[in-house]
Amino acid sequence: MEKHSTKAYDVVVIGAGNGGLAAAIRVLQGGFSCLVLEKHNLPGGFATSFKRGRFEFEASLHELNDFGSPEEPGDIRTLFRDLGVEDKIDWIRIPEAYHLITTDKQYDCVMPFGVEAFIQKMEEYVPGSRKSMTEFFQLCNEVRDAQTYSSSVNGNTDAAYMKKNFPNFIKAGSYSVNQVLDALKMPARAKDILNAYWCYLGVDCDRMSFLHYGSMVIRYITRDAWMPKMRSHEISLALDTRIRELGGQIWYNSPAVKIHAKGPGTITGVELSDGTFIPTRHVIANCSPHLVFGKLLQDQAVSEKMVRATNARTFSGRGFSLFLGLNKSAQELGIKSHNYFIYDTADTAKQYDLMRRVDTNHVQATVCLNNAYPGCSPQGTCMMYFTTMFMSDDWGGVSETEYFQAKDRVAADMIRVFQRETGCQIQDAIEEIAVASPTTYARYCGHPQGVIYGYETAQWDSLMPRMMMMNEDAQLFPGLRFAGGWAMRSSGYSSAYVSGDLSGRQTVGDLKKEAR
Amino acid sequence: MKFKKQIFGFMDMLRFKKLVPNRRAALAAGSDRPLPKEYRTNQLAHRLHPGMMEVELTKVRHLVPGMTELTFQRLDESAFPFFRAGQYVSLQGQVGESYVSRPYSIVSSPRQALANQLVLAVADAGFFSGWLNKEAKPGQRFRMTEPSGEFHYETLRDKKQIVCIAGGAGITPFLSMAQSMAEGDEPYQMILFYGARDRAHLAYQEELDGLTEKGLRVVYVLSEEEAPGFEKGFVTAALLEKYVNPREATFFLCGPDAMYRFVGAQLAPYALPVKAVRRDATCCSDLALENPRRFRLTVHIRDESFTMDAAEHETLLTAMERAGVPSPNKCRAGGCGYCHSKWLSGEFRVAEGRDGRREADRKFGFIHPCVTYPLGDMEIEVPPAE
Repeated sequence: MEKHSTKAYDVVVIGAGNGGLAAAIRVLQGGFSCLVLEKHNLPGGFATSFKRGRFEFEASLHELNDFGSPEEPGDIRTLFRDLGVEDKIDWIRIPEAYHLITTDKQYDCVMPFGVEAFIQKMEEYVPGSRKSMTEFFQLCNEVRDAQTYSSSVNGNTDAAYMKKNFPNFIKAGSYSVNQVLDALKMPARAKDILNAYWCYLGVDCDRMSFLHYGSMVIRYITRDAWMPKMRSHEISLALDTRIRELGGQIWYNSPAVKIHAKGPGTITGVELSDGTFIPTRHVIANCSPHLVFGKLLQDQAVSEKMVRATNARTFSGRGFSLFLGLNKSAQELGIKSHNYFIYDTADTAKQYDLMRRVDTNHVQATVCLNNAYPGCSPQGTCMMYFTTMFMSDDWGGVSETEYFQAKDRVAADMIRVFQRETGCQIQDAIEEIAVASPTTYARYCGHPQGVIYGYETAQWDSLMPRMMMMNEDAQLFPGLRFAGGWAMRSSGYSSAYVSGDLSGRQTVGDLKKEAR
Repeated sequence: MKFKKQIFGFMDMLRFKKLVPNRRAALAAGSDRPLPKEYRTNQLAHRLHPGMMEVELTKVRHLVPGMTELTFQRLDESAFPFFRAGQYVSLQGQVGESYVSRPYSIVSSPRQALANQLVLAVADAGFFSGWLNKEAKPGQRFRMTEPSGEFHYETLRDKKQIVCIAGGAGITPFLSMAQSMAEGDEPYQMILFYGARDRAHLAYQEELDGLTEKGLRVVYVLSEEEAPGFEKGFVTAALLEKYVNPREATFFLCGPDAMYRFVGAQLAPYALPVKAVRRDATCCSDLALENPRRFRLTVHIRDESFTMDAAEHETLLTAMERAGVPSPNKCRAGGCGYCHSKWLSGEFRVAEGRDGRREADRKFGFIHPCVTYPLGDMEIEVPPAE
């Protein structure tokens, strides 16, 4: 294709991941023109599927948080409704919250959705936990209400109003998960069982903000979780379809290599690898600030402040997943749960440390999709996917010639641990196998080091101050906003859609201000 | 409830107030060293998956009647990527006005790739392969996709003993697999049944015999010639059992469809699980139609549009190649998804047994042009070729 300048767009979205797709729809709904650029030939980023033999594997989604039923929608179903895609997707409900197994203390706990059911089950496992669990959920409810209020005023909260209506939210707001649970005098075993979701956020409970964890747990437990039938690829194509309906465009196989700008607020366009230049003054980046400030933006546009603010942040986990198509049914294999968390230890800080190295990490969040959606694979078969993370760049030392064996080694360990901890023998039933390493994630999504969770939401960079500084952070480079796992809401499907929603609507606000 | 952590609730409140100033200070205190341009994992990803490569033909060698060996070196980097023995590349070029491409199994080993050598063996069949057999000369340049495909050994799935069955030109991936085993990169024990018409049509016999010293077992099976040390006939169950226990092996088959049918029938009585028999994909060919109809095909690539002829018996990919419109493609078998494109309008059919689309692709109107035939005027949106 010859080098040329295209027509101008009000907004160019770089990356058709969850955040970028949602942002593009918001821009188009706001009445502005939008082009989405995607380096891969599919939309969705991690939200996709792939086929091997007679299996179509889910690439990453375990369950969609805060979705709720059609009658009692959660925030994400409501968002999908507003985006105009809820009805384009067939949804199935996830049956139970989680199945926790830890090797050290021999936990083997299956937790249900629903606050009452959850508290009751916890009381069965840990007699005497009811009071602290009840208070925990009360506190979580206040967290959720405070966040709903905060979102309704776009982060510009009134301090007096907050103090009056959400005092517990503020008092608990600066503490870690474990600090708050200790203050609630929760029994140690109940804490262990309650903290099982921590790997979804990738920060141990000594350093993870209670607000972040509490707001996630309450959304899982009260609004349960859902999945699209045709894997997350169905969501991604529904969003693609919606963008087309609204007159927007998506260009696949079109990696952006340069954002042209002299400095903040002066973006003139985006350049593709073949030299094609797309004039625009607004970019929504569905990729990492490390990539944008380190590579995409012209050097002259990047200030010391941007470099410092980017260097200050810590990469979250690098992803590793194993996908198995098994030639026996879940029932035949004895796999009863949809969603397993298997840890070496219930001590999250200790576990986090073990996850720094490839060879000491045996954590897995494992899904057997058939236990939520029996029709996801042919009769007499089932599908599983196992995910873990490395909390350092240890994987970066793997060489080209060791690569395939290194992947097999981690995959073999995942199978061994699952078999040992559940007693389900799956190895001989493997018909199809695929492994995604940090290298794979780096390949498809371009994230530094194959990070899948964006920046760590630990301590000073936790969710609450991020949200409170949303507008301030965007002032670092007017005309440029972020969406997706690297943005203010951090990683995970729901968070990525929400950040796209926020950045899309805020960009519409920017454009309207300019027009005045 | 009334939550409090410290003795006085206001101290908890004060801590909350500091969240923003603390973060502001931490961001300002970040290092001022330049942000990294490269990361080790991303560099490895690029080495293993470089996408399209620029290559030059360095050697052309006649193998057997109707089969030519082509050796390539890479021009845009100093070596080819390491790969899994059994994988293929798609060789792409221009012949006259047309773009042409074809997937070929890699003959050379993954270690040779690191020495910047990649070998293909091309049977004289079809337009591009025919051209390569007649016209290929050292110094010619092509484009080549990165090694791809799932036709390779899986340590965690497959039996230690693998039985490879090659028909004619289907010998190519097994050269690589045997070599890779000999080089210590693969853990399997390999026995190869190599079927050909006669000795004159056995490509690579010398190389294979050499590899027997490094653990490979080879059984040559000639259909039209009797010779000492060679089996006569076809690869039957009885012949297999002479050498190996079919129930304790994983089969890798590469050859023409007729061979897949024949061997499939031979293996049927064992009722082997699906996982025990892997077949290499074959290219999607033209439909055998009398008086195929001709249609108009409109193709949108980014902000450009092209209109061309499309024949009922040829795939949409072939129509685009004839018209000189470059479009992404790799496996030409419907499975790799690399040509994934948006259907906009018009009737079509998908080659039988080759619909490798995801479920949601069908729901939202996406197609794989490499296995899609038009049944009327069509309009599609295709991503640009690399």
